[in-house]
Amino acid sequence: MKKSMFTGRVSRRDFLKLAGAGLIASGGAGLVSKLVSGFISPEAIALAQGELPDKVFAGTDGWMYLPPLPTPSPFHPDDLSPDPALFTTYIFGFRDLTGQTEEQMLNQKMKAQHSAPMFWLQEGVEFKLQLRNLGLAMRPDLTDAHTVHFHGFKNAIPFFDGEPSSSISVPMNRSFTYVYRPHDPGTYMFHCHVEDVEHVQMGMTGLVFVRPAQDGTSFVFGGSPFTKFAYNDGDGTTGFDREFGMHLSEMWVDSHWADSHIQLPEWSDYKPDFSMINGRVYPDTIAPNGQGYDVNGDLIAPVGHPRLQYQPISSLITCNAGESVLLRFTNLGFMQASMTLDGIQMRVVGKDATFLRNGATDISYLTNTITIGAGESFDTIFKAPAHSGGVGPDKYLLYNRNFVRSHSVGGFGEGKQMTEVHVYPGTLPAQTEPNT
Amino acid sequence: MQKHSLLNPKVLAILVLLLALVVSLMPFGGPSVAKAQGPQSEGMVCTNGPSFNLTSHDGYIGTPDGNVVYMWGLSSGSDSFQYPGPVLCVTEGDTVTVILHNTFDRDISLIFPGQENVLADGQPDGPIFSGVDLVSLAKVAPANGGSVTYSFVANDPGTFLYQSGTDPSIQVPMGLFGAIVVRPALHPDWIYNDADSAFNPNREYLSLLSEVDPILSQKMEAGLPFNSKNYHPRYWFVNGRGFPDTIAPNYASWLPGQPYGSLTMLEPWEATLNPLPAAIRYLSVGSIDYPFHPHGNNVRIVGRDGMPLESDTLENLAFDKYSIPVGPGQTWDALFSWHDPEAYSLANPVNVTFPNIMDMFFGPLFGGSPYLGEQGAIPVGVTSQNQCGEFYHIAHNHALYQITSWGVVMTGMATYTRIDPPNGCP
Repeated sequence: MKKSMFTGRVSRRDFLKLAGAGLIASGGAGLVSKLVSGFISPEAIALAQGELPDKVFAGTDGWMYLPPLPTPSPFHPDDLSPDPALFTTYIFGFRDLTGQTEEQMLNQKMKAQHSAPMFWLQEGVEFKLQLRNLGLAMRPDLTDAHTVHFHGFKNAIPFFDGEPSSSISVPMNRSFTYVYRPHDPGTYMFHCHVEDVEHVQMGMTGLVFVRPAQDGTSFVFGGSPFTKFAYNDGDGTTGFDREFGMHLSEMWVDSHWADSHIQLPEWSDYKPDFSMINGRVYPDTIAPNGQGYDVNGDLIAPVGHPRLQYQPISSLITCNAGESVLLRFTNLGFMQASMTLDGIQMRVVGKDATFLRNGATDISYLTNTITIGAGESFDTIFKAPAHSGGVGPDKYLLYNRNFVRSHSVGGFGEGKQMTEVHVYPGTLPAQTEPNT
Repeated sequence: MQKHSLLNPKVLAILVLLLALVVSLMPFGGPSVAKAQGPQSEGMVCTNGPSFNLTSHDGYIGTPDGNVVYMWGLSSGSDSFQYPGPVLCVTEGDTVTVILHNTFDRDISLIFPGQENVLADGQPDGPIFSGVDLVSLAKVAPANGGSVTYSFVANDPGTFLYQSGTDPSIQVPMGLFGAIVVRPALHPDWIYNDADSAFNPNREYLSLLSEVDPILSQKMEAGLPFNSKNYHPRYWFVNGRGFPDTIAPNYASWLPGQPYGSLTMLEPWEATLNPLPAAIRYLSVGSIDYPFHPHGNNVRIVGRDGMPLESDTLENLAFDKYSIPVGPGQTWDALFSWHDPEAYSLANPVNVTFPNIMDMFFGPLFGGSPYLGEQGAIPVGVTSQNQCGEFYHIAHNHALYQITSWGVVMTGMATYTRIDPPNGCP
């Protein structure tokens, strides 16, 4: 047992001094020699320069919109909403504050979004994510810390794992920088692990993925050339032209009302009123993405959808006929979802950030429905069918077969965990960002 | 909300006792030392066969919200009430005999899902009909002192359940269930007859997942009927305990009816010194899938429901998962290990300045350092339960409303993995 002699700030320099004093040396590079039970092969990691984070996220509270319920509920819309015409539901959430000034950052208290900003890393490239806790404006009685738990990240040390009992968490008006060295491409998720049932249900969840080292090389698969891939397949089988993150979450309005009214829900009564994709229900799911940031650093609502200011991520899947489309599914609701793509087969190429190939054995499979439990991820690729020749795009539906999981007043599909696939005859320009 | 259960006095007491026990039983950090000195403090506890006497008992369990709940259970030989039943360990090819003794005023029975050609009192067992009415899934041990003898040949290595086959929608959630482990004929430290399923025999763990509706228990205690339409679980358990009791040692004196802990203990994987993973056998007797998520690393799933994951041509179909959806009645056999691929240490530090300790909230299991085997300064006022810079990773159900206990958060179906430095805690 070696106690640090330092109290207060222990800097990296101090650690180096300690190391120089003859403490046990590390196993060093090359200590990993064999693939055992998910262990990774040694590979060089490009270190980030200096201590500037690649991303700065904030944790705070805020408000979002969900449609009316079919029967009157004392919990929805929330009577404490700052603007009942726009917002119905009290949330906790993350925001991306990368590049903002100090003043802009402080403006974002009480401006959380759901689901959280999607982000991605490159296999073999160190990534720094700084988390800043802006506090909870609606609940000055709560002094909750926040964390980022990178769910599924293999071989994590507790220091960067974000589980508060075994690690550290970030108190109000403090920051902490998580350092990730991703070795395993695939789709993951992240969430705050402090008071987990509450903070996760309140909205502090999002999707993150790791791009494979193979990206940028060229493979021809099925007659089509690819330079972007889901995994290091070595043959282009996971190549894609477009990619879309489908982050599933749920809303039990009773618990959100309870939080805004300084009450505690009985969690064993959990029964979600809404199940969402990227923080929205149909038809809001097919509304466009948000429009970035205003001069105060606040989010600008999607065109024509002022209610979706704090739900900026679109789930509309657009592609050209014949293109390969990667759908990255993650689920941080508490229930299983059964997501069906009507009329198009998907090939499941990865689960839980694991390429479905064992040695030379291909264990991928075709299906039109994936059953995805809490904390699981699926990577599926579909080949967009030929265009019918009619006017405008051909439309297909992607939805949770468990319709009763989500309900609202309105027509068929409204308020559901559902989105659309729009297949164009070749008129779409190349995709520049996921979910566009 | 800041209502962190690890800070409450009961939890602290358990942690202190746990650490004290670990220290007292493991002076050299070796699990074999602990085993030599008495009941093992951690890891799967085998009741060895192939012949077993199981007797029904009722009793009470403690739950993390401070409640005491009436339950039923099966115990080996003359043992007193326990929940869940003993882990029946046998070897492939054994003829397994289970004599069930019924002390209840209602019929009970056992079924053995995954076993073939089960006999009851020497005759082929199966569903029991009274006229056209199905009255039991297996021959019963009659009420008030009856018994029945089941036997079968354990043909398939792997992990299985045994559970009540009479009125199972009542008797299984009340506690009449347990695990069966069939060790392969080729090697006792493999899960299946396949060297790819080899594990460290000192690192074998069970995670038997269950749930309890305290109203059902209340009705049974009062001798009242229960309508299963009203079934509503409020407690969720690993090996019959809710967190933080899950990380207390096996046979903790303050949990007399709940003998089995589920703290997983590891040392970092190392190619020559510690090459074998732990085995974790996941089973569920619940009513819905439990998406169980161990932090720190993926598990490698090598078998399900007592069948190895391999093709007819013996291709290895094992796969890695970070969330294991253990469905009702399923078993999942997993290998698990951990190491730090970056080999972070004081000499090879994390690429970020360690913040001022007053600018962070310290968890009670955190040792104050990012590095395995190191401890750092702890803020004044924080009680650290960390012993020597060992790491902890939580393993929990990701249907997060099930890591509560009738309203008390951060309890329920959760446990921890403890990763000691390579040579153990000094």
